[in-house]
Amino acid sequence: MSYTLRGRIESRLAALVPVLLAACALAGALHRWWPVELVALMAVVGIALDLEVWHRLLPYQPAWAMLPIGALELGALMAIVYGFGLHAPLWPAVALFGAGWLAAVLFGQAGFPLLRLGYAEDGGELGRLGGVAAAAVVLAFAGSAATYVVRLPPVVHLSAGIHQGPLVITRREVLQGEPGAVVRGGIVVAHDDVAIRNVTVVGGENGITVDGVRGTTIDGVTVSGAKLDGIHVRLAGVVIRNCTVDMLGNRLGQGIDISFNMNLGMSMVEGCTVVGGQEGITTHSSMTDIMDNRVSRTTGEAIAVDEMSMGMASHNIVRDALGVALYCSDRSMCMFEHNTVVATRSDAASGLRTRGGIAVLANFQSEVDLWQNRLVGNPVAMGATTNSILRTTSRRRW
Amino acid sequence: MTRVAVVGSGLAGFTAYQTLRRAFEPGEIAVFGTDADPAAAWRVRAAAIRQREMRSESDGHCLPTSFPGLAFSSIRRRRSVRPLVESVLDRYHPSVDEFLSHVARLRARSGWDESLVPRRVERVRAVDDGFDLDGDCFRHVLLALGHPGLNVPEELRDDPRAVHSYEPHDYAPTVTVVGAGLAAATEWLNALAAGAEVVSVRRREPVRRPLNVPRQYFSRRGLAGYHRLPQRERVERLRTLSTASFPAGARWDEPLELAAREGRFRVEQSVNGSEQVICATGFRRGFGQDPLLGRLVAEHELETADEWLVLDSDSTVPVLSDTTRTLAVAGAPAQWAFPAADTLAGARYVAHRFLRRIQACRTR
Repeated sequence: MSYTLRGRIESRLAALVPVLLAACALAGALHRWWPVELVALMAVVGIALDLEVWHRLLPYQPAWAMLPIGALELGALMAIVYGFGLHAPLWPAVALFGAGWLAAVLFGQAGFPLLRLGYAEDGGELGRLGGVAAAAVVLAFAGSAATYVVRLPPVVHLSAGIHQGPLVITRREVLQGEPGAVVRGGIVVAHDDVAIRNVTVVGGENGITVDGVRGTTIDGVTVSGAKLDGIHVRLAGVVIRNCTVDMLGNRLGQGIDISFNMNLGMSMVEGCTVVGGQEGITTHSSMTDIMDNRVSRTTGEAIAVDEMSMGMASHNIVRDALGVALYCSDRSMCMFEHNTVVATRSDAASGLRTRGGIAVLANFQSEVDLWQNRLVGNPVAMGATTNSILRTTSRRRW
Repeated sequence: MTRVAVVGSGLAGFTAYQTLRRAFEPGEIAVFGTDADPAAAWRVRAAAIRQREMRSESDGHCLPTSFPGLAFSSIRRRRSVRPLVESVLDRYHPSVDEFLSHVARLRARSGWDESLVPRRVERVRAVDDGFDLDGDCFRHVLLALGHPGLNVPEELRDDPRAVHSYEPHDYAPTVTVVGAGLAAATEWLNALAAGAEVVSVRRREPVRRPLNVPRQYFSRRGLAGYHRLPQRERVERLRTLSTASFPAGARWDEPLELAAREGRFRVEQSVNGSEQVICATGFRRGFGQDPLLGRLVAEHELETADEWLVLDSDSTVPVLSDTTRTLAVAGAPAQWAFPAADTLAGARYVAHRFLRRIQACRTR
C-alpha cells in the first residue's frame, strides 16, 4: 500500500480508537493512568515516526513491513516509558502495544478496505471517517486529561506554626506543609491516595501512622519525639522520600517500620535520614526497596529486612550502629549492594555473639546477596547463623 | 427505471458493475455488450500466450473492495496458508484458473446476466438530461470499451510468418518475438519450452518491475503529483509509464540465461529469417483507434492530448459531466486519469469514482 501522509495518520488514529477505549476501561478498572498514558505515547511516537521517517522512507509499504515497523515502534515506546520513568508494568504494557499493533494490521489490511471502497487507491485516507476518528482520539484523550485533573486530590495547605494533633486524614488529599508548619501529636493516614509533603511532626504515639490504605506518599517530612515508631506502616503501600526521623532517646521504637504489606506490591524508602531508635529502617513480611538513606546510632539493627521479607538495600550509609548494621532475618531474601557500613559497635552488654558489632548479618534461614558494599571499621564484617546464606553476586536470586 | 449504463461487457465493465451493485439492483443497471462472459476476450488472449499466472497480486480481482483478495479464497481452495504468506510478501499471484473461477462465481451471484443488454453501442451522444446510447437515454454512463484491437507493426502486417501473441498459435522451430513486455517474455519462455530457437527483437531493454506501473501510481500518493502535471509533462510521463515491462526474478532469467548459453536465445535489432514471427506488441493505442470514442471526441469537440483523451482525475469527461449527469471512461482510454487504467485495480479506481459521482448527483 502506498500511503499518503494524511492516509497514514488517519489510518493510525482510526485503528487506535478501539485500543484507546480499551485503555480507558482498563485505567478505570485498575485505578491507574498508565494504560491511557501508554496509548497516548503510542499515538505520539507513531505520528512522529510517520511524519519524519515512514512517509519519507516508504513510498510503498508492503504488508510484511508491519513487523519491523511494529518492533521499532515498540522499542522506541519502551525506551521512552523507562527513560522517563513512566510507571507502566512491562508485560501488560507490551500486551497493550501488541493489541494496538494487531488492531492496526487488521484494520489496515481488512477493516478499512471493507469500510471504505477507495481505501487503497486513496492512500489510506478515510474521508469523513478519518476526521471522526481523529476527533474521537482527541476527545478521548481530552476526556482522560479532564478526568485526571478533576480527580486530582485537593491540596490542603498547612500554614506555618504549630497544629495540635493527632491529625487524622480521612479523605484523598495532599497535605502540603508551608515552611514552619508543625503538627504536634502525630498524623494518622486513614484513606487511600494521600500525600504528605514538607510537614514536621513532633510527638505522638507514632509520628506518622499509615494503616490499611494504599497509595500513600510521604515526602520531605521531619519526625521527632515519637513514643513508638517514627513512621509506622501496617498493611499499606507507601513511598517515603527525603524524610528525617529523629529517634534519639527512644530505645525501643523504630525509625521507619513497614510491615505486613507483601500483597500490596513494592514500597520504597528513599533519601531519608534516621538517627537513633532500636531499628532505623525495618520491614516485616514486606517487599520494600531501601535506597540512599543515612542511618546512624541505632541500638538494635540499623536496617533490618525481617520475617520473610524480600527487599533490596542499596546505596545506604550506616554509621555507629550498636550490635548489627545490615540485618536479614527469619527466612527473608535480601540484596545488599553498594552500601557503606562504618564503625558498627559491639553490644557487649547483650552478651550475644550475634551482636558483636557485625556489619552484615544473615539470620535464621535467610539468604543475602552482597555486591560491592564498603564495610569499614566494623569488629565483624559478615556473619550467618542458623542455615543462612551469604553470597557475593551482582544478581539477586529472587 | 434503469439509470446507469455501462458500455462494454469485458472485465473493466464487469468490475464496474460489481461496484455499482453496492448501490443499485440489477434492474437499475444496463450493461451493453456482445458477450455475456466478461472474461471471454481476456480468456482467449491468456490462453494464446499460455499464461498460467496473473501478473497482478491478491487484489487483482473484480470485487468492489480490495479485501478480501484472491489469496483468501485460495487459502480455502488449497487448504494452505501459503497464499496468505506469499501475499504478505507481495509474492502471491493468482493462477489464471483461480481468476477465471472468481469471475464465474461473481457473474453468477451478482445478477450480471440480468443487467446485460446484448447489443453493441455505436454512438454516445450528450442530450439534455443525460446521454443517448443509440436511442436509449441514461443519466450516468461508463464507457468500458476495452482495447480497440491488436497492434501489429506496419512492416509485418502482410508478412505470412507473423502472428500476434494474443492469437492462438503454436511454435515453429525458429521463432522471432517482437516486443519486450510481459507477453513477449512469456512467449520467449513458451517457445524455448517448445524446443524452438528464439530471437528477441526489441527497441529497448525491457523495464523490470512487478506491476505495470510503479506501485505508488496505484494510490493517491503517486497520483496526486501525476494529476498536477502540466499537459505536456503528463503526456511524457504516460509515455514513460507505458514502456513495456515484466517482473524481475529467476523464474524469467534462469531459462533465458540457460538458453542463451546453449545458443537458443539471442537479441537482435530486426526481424531475421525465422520461420515464425510473434508480435508481442500489445494493443493499438489511442482514443482515435476506437470508433465510438473517436466519434464522441469529434462530435463533442472533447479535449485531447496526443493520443489520450483528457479526463478529470476521477476519470470523467470534463465538459460532459456535471452535477446532473456523468460520463466516465474505464480501461486503457482512462490512462489520463489513472496510468494503470488497463488493470483490474484501474477498473476498480474508475468504478469507485463513478459510483461516488452518481451518489453525489442531486438528480440521482
